[in-house]
Amino acid sequence: MHVMALVMQAAEEGSQQAKNPILPATNEIIWGTLAFLVLLIGMWKFAFPAVTKAMNERTERIRSNLDSAENLKGEAQQILDEYQRQLADAKSEANRIIEEARQTAEALRRDLMQRAEAEVAELRQRSAEDVAAAQERALNDLRARISTLVISAAEKVVERNLDRETNTALVESFINSVGATSV
Amino acid sequence: MSDRIDAYAAALLEIAKAEGSLETVEDELFKVARTLEANDQLLVTITDQAIPIERRQGIVEDLFGGKASKITTSLVSFLVGIGRGRDLPAIIDKLVAEAAEERHQTVAEVRTAVPLDEGQRDRLAAALSNATGKHVSLKVIVDPTVLGGVVARVGDTVIDGSVRHRLEQLRQQF
Repeated sequence: MHVMALVMQAAEEGSQQAKNPILPATNEIIWGTLAFLVLLIGMWKFAFPAVTKAMNERTERIRSNLDSAENLKGEAQQILDEYQRQLADAKSEANRIIEEARQTAEALRRDLMQRAEAEVAELRQRSAEDVAAAQERALNDLRARISTLVISAAEKVVERNLDRETNTALVESFINSVGATSV
Repeated sequence: MSDRIDAYAAALLEIAKAEGSLETVEDELFKVARTLEANDQLLVTITDQAIPIERRQGIVEDLFGGKASKITTSLVSFLVGIGRGRDLPAIIDKLVAEAAEERHQTVAEVRTAVPLDEGQRDRLAAALSNATGKHVSLKVIVDPTVLGGVVARVGDTVIDGSVRHRLEQLRQQF
């Protein structure tokens, strides 16, 4: 109550004195207000639209950046998926190739084994045949030698023992046998 | 070549006929041919250009003169003299074949180890004629290599009844 009374008193004293320490002079207020209005209008007219535009553009840019970031992320995901798929493919391909190689090697091994076995069998048979042929040859050779020896011996015996009488008998027998046949 | 042999054979045949001793000459010439065939050295000698013709003819006359008739020796000597010694066997074979053909016969070449007597020759000729169906003119050669028995050749047909052949057969059987 005491304070209020003091403020009222001060106000009264100020108006009376026309010298208020807070309020500026009236003309200053008018000029200030005018200047403010002019600035406000200028701002309204020129600065605001530019700022708004800039703000909008910025917003738009950020959105588009966000969008493109989103897109990029999606693309990255796609590429990652693609890579993973290719990796999986490559792995299965590698497995397939390894399996194929294993099978080929197995087939080759089996084939080689079979061939080697066949060769061994053939060699064995051929050597058996060679041995048999050599035996046969030796036997034939021996037989030929023996026959030559025997025949030569027989020739000598016949030459010595074939007398005229026997010879005549042989001729007679030839005549009889030839006369009885016709060629 | 063959024509020349034919011509010589025909000429010799005519000479032998003219001399009236065809059969003897034919037989003797046949023996000469077989002797030459069996004796390469002799054939080489009588055809050797390095030896003078007179010398070669002398060899022939020495060799056959005592055993064959004069006409046979002369004919062989003549052929050697004109340098036909190498063709002698062929010419003689042709002559013998021609002579046989004129008698409507075929030559039968017979090899035996021992000489045949007249009766054996006749019976052998008859037997061969019967076997081959041709009249044969027998030419006998004594060839010890047959050992025993007879080898007969009539044309392309050979009938081998020799001991040598039997031994060969025996050898084949081994």
